Amino acid sequence: MNALKTIWAIGLISFQEGLRRRIIYGVVLASLLFMSFAVLISGLFMRDIVKIMLDLSLSAVSVSGLLVPFIVGITLLSGDMEQRTIYTILAQPVSRAHYILGKYLGFAMLTSLIMGILTGATIVTVWGSSHLYAEHFFTSLSFSAIFLSSLMSLLAVLVLNSAMILWCCVTTSSFLATLLTLATYLIGQTVEDIIRFISLHIAGAEVSGLVQKTVQVALYLFPNLAAFDFKQQAAYGLPIPLHEVILLGIYGAAYITVMLLLAIVIFNKRDLA
Amino acid sequence: MSIISCENIEKYYPEGFSGRKKKILTDLSFTVRQGDVFGIVGPNGAGKSTTLKIILDFVRPDKGKASISGHPARSHTSHRHLGFLPENPSLYRHLTVTDHLLFAARTAGMPRGEAMRRADEILCTVDLSHAAHIPISRFSKGMTQRGALAYALFLKPEVLILDEPMSGLDPLGRQLVIDIIRESHQKGTTILFCSHILTDVERICTQIAIMDKGWLAAFTTPQELQQRKDVAKPEMSPLESFFLEVIAG
Repeated sequence: MNALKTIWAIGLISFQEGLRRRIIYGVVLASLLFMSFAVLISGLFMRDIVKIMLDLSLSAVSVSGLLVPFIVGITLLSGDMEQRTIYTILAQPVSRAHYILGKYLGFAMLTSLIMGILTGATIVTVWGSSHLYAEHFFTSLSFSAIFLSSLMSLLAVLVLNSAMILWCCVTTSSFLATLLTLATYLIGQTVEDIIRFISLHIAGAEVSGLVQKTVQVALYLFPNLAAFDFKQQAAYGLPIPLHEVILLGIYGAAYITVMLLLAIVIFNKRDLA
Repeated sequence: MSIISCENIEKYYPEGFSGRKKKILTDLSFTVRQGDVFGIVGPNGAGKSTTLKIILDFVRPDKGKASISGHPARSHTSHRHLGFLPENPSLYRHLTVTDHLLFAARTAGMPRGEAMRRADEILCTVDLSHAAHIPISRFSKGMTQRGALAYALFLKPEVLILDEPMSGLDPLGRQLVIDIIRESHQKGTTILFCSHILTDVERICTQIAIMDKGWLAAFTTPQELQQRKDVAKPEMSPLESFFLEVIAG
């Protein structure tokens, strides 16, 4: 019980610190402006009005979520170590595991808040647009698909947040942690496509055994972030299978657990000099 | 009764990419008794801060062990009744000092009403009542130091560890810190601190340890120093004179 209270206290202070950074408001404002732009530009594509609007708006939601680990998460976590703010936390009866879990909770709260606000804005925008344009353009619209798509994007960002925490524990340099998190994101987004490309065995584009092995290893080591992308389904109003959502939920939770456990083990061995 | 103890501590830090290790602490052993004001003095690089960090488990020793109130330093329960003021304290820049105090209250399970009362009290003690709701980013160095001291004292710790508590403070700030240390001592708090301002150490400590190149070179008390007054150079305080004697070997 005490451990949960401690993790909550660290989560709350990290959330407060993140929330008071002006850049967060800049990100949200830029996304809202982008969504307004999406409403205007979608009017040029009358047949695909919902598709364009949702494609652009949901992209704004996931990009804003992704910016949290890069512009707030890394600076908060590495900053704690570089500026020794971590002493303020660890001088209390707080274990290093509490610290890692609390920080993760704080980032998760911040990401959820931002993506929640922007998903709400997307739903309001689409609902408002349905009164602006002819009704038949909106027959395929599914609010549950929009919600599930955003939820999956949030899960992808939470997975990336856990990888970011691991990299911040591995290296003392915030620059290196940013590069490693970016590499995790890029590999996570592309590894599925590369595997698909290799499996096609296209003549003239043969891939060496070593590359195939490397890609297979990357598939197991890095999170498959592309699997969490349901923007197309939401844009076309296609149903998102519930079993797929549950499986991805389990996959995401398992990946986050492993990343955080590794981060705790590494962080426990580190000197905070 | 011993409150803080270090037994045969050795610490090495890696040097560059060569894999070579530099010895920072050598066979360091000492105990701080309940109610003591224990000062560690020494030149820069003597290992004073590393010693405090080992006691606080921020840094892990390669050999030996440290404990606080009988709890091993590695266990976070050893921090239950502890306050710490780091050298050049860094607080969250976008938060207020009250936010920090409320965080400490939450970790200790203190109810919010009681936490707010205690926050008002401690901010008054460190003369920061006027800045209770100002973000730390707008604090001066001295205000940050006093804010961090308020944070260290907030939960009425039984053990107070201070790393260079007077560094960067103006004479008024220094006097305030000295008064707070004295007041805490009178209330029975055990205090361990390191400093290279020898006159401050001499004024407030009941036990003094001199460190040099990772070794504990000498132990003394203000009473012993007073007896040595005859050998001291007239322009130096007894501790300054003793310190130079020890460091010169």
